[in-house]
Amino acid sequence: MAESPDDKLAEGKLDLVPLIDCIMLLLLFFILTTKFTSEEKTITSLLPTDKGQAAAPSKPVEPPQMINICIYPAGLYKGGQPSEYFKQLNDMRAGIAVIPKAWIKVGNADPIEMDGGILQKAKSGNQLLQQVEQVHVYLNDALAKFEKGGDRKTQDPVVIHCFSGLSWKYALVCYDAVRAYEAKVSGRKSTGNPSDFDEAREVDFAPPRIRDYSAKELGEELFEIIHMK
Amino acid sequence: MAHNIRKRNMNHADAEIDLVPMIDCIFLLLLFFMLCGRITVDQRTEQITVPPTKTAAKFKDPNGWTREIVNLFGATQHGAADQPPRNSIRIGTHTFNASGVNDYSGYKGLRQILDAVYDKAEKYDDPKKTGMRLPKVIIEIRADGDTEYRVVQEVQQVLTDTLDLENMQPKKGLDPKTARAFVNIDFTTRRPEDKM
Repeated sequence: MAESPDDKLAEGKLDLVPLIDCIMLLLLFFILTTKFTSEEKTITSLLPTDKGQAAAPSKPVEPPQMINICIYPAGLYKGGQPSEYFKQLNDMRAGIAVIPKAWIKVGNADPIEMDGGILQKAKSGNQLLQQVEQVHVYLNDALAKFEKGGDRKTQDPVVIHCFSGLSWKYALVCYDAVRAYEAKVSGRKSTGNPSDFDEAREVDFAPPRIRDYSAKELGEELFEIIHMK
Repeated sequence: MAHNIRKRNMNHADAEIDLVPMIDCIFLLLLFFMLCGRITVDQRTEQITVPPTKTAAKFKDPNGWTREIVNLFGATQHGAADQPPRNSIRIGTHTFNASGVNDYSGYKGLRQILDAVYDKAEKYDDPKKTGMRLPKVIIEIRADGDTEYRVVQEVQQVLTDTLDLENMQPKKGLDPKTARAFVNIDFTTRRPEDKM
């Protein structure tokens, strides 16, 4: 005859089976529902509320100088016409979903190349670290040339102009490099709090200058970004 | 020999399996999954590979603030028939298509949801003294690295309520008192050294 739980208890033995059942169920739940993805992080931004709809100033104000970071498909050189840029763009996009490489330049400086395939890799690697570091060094040197001294709010605004058909990652990596430069110069680290921007330099993503994305407009957009100073 | 067999049978009859090592192992496994695993939240869909940045930080919402996640799909899932197409927008359980270059109906759907979020949220006056009432909501744009720049930008303009969604032109004569702008934005990202 099988021993009852009371008999076991009387003998000083605990019936572990229900405990094991519960633990097994818990274990199964955690095994099935958990994911081992790395925890995502964020980089904060403040969108402007005082552009476009503010009341006109009573006297003309000299517009601030802007530092333009231009991002466009790799292989497009200055000196072309909008129609030529559009043709080159079409050739580049033939049969592929995403333009694979981009050039970045600040004003008239020579561009550097970013490989989108490396940036999109889910797994970390030396190539990815080097790629991000290269952009940081390039933009750090470029921004240092425009440094005015004084507080961060009075520095020239930085505007990131990215070709509308390029991948978003290029613009975000540039934004990150500007933020890293600002953190280095100001000695302030981002807390992720909206008040971080109270004393910060203005850094904006330029809105696309077109809406219909026709052949003519895309060519014009490329022409403007490539020739921007 | 017969003696040995009898001895073995007797041992089986009396045997009690020692469960303690097994329980130890199971507890260790349980602890491992509880500490290392992360229960997937539906809002963070798996098909998105966010871009790498060095200044990325763990987000922590200030007291009294809420967070809404806007997923933007890129080409990571390109080619899979059951996945949202490139440039789709997903907020909560709603998915909108933004891949049509001249079709902006997705932005109208997004704006409707944002309006509902705005109505519910606690608000504060714009520190820039524009007269706007801003919601205490952080919008997290969780865009795949291969989402087109134009889509991320257009979503930002929908957020700031500066577009007339009938013709996708900037709003004329926007009244700051009626504008329903979301300006506190987080872009989801990852550290380049993070293992995914």
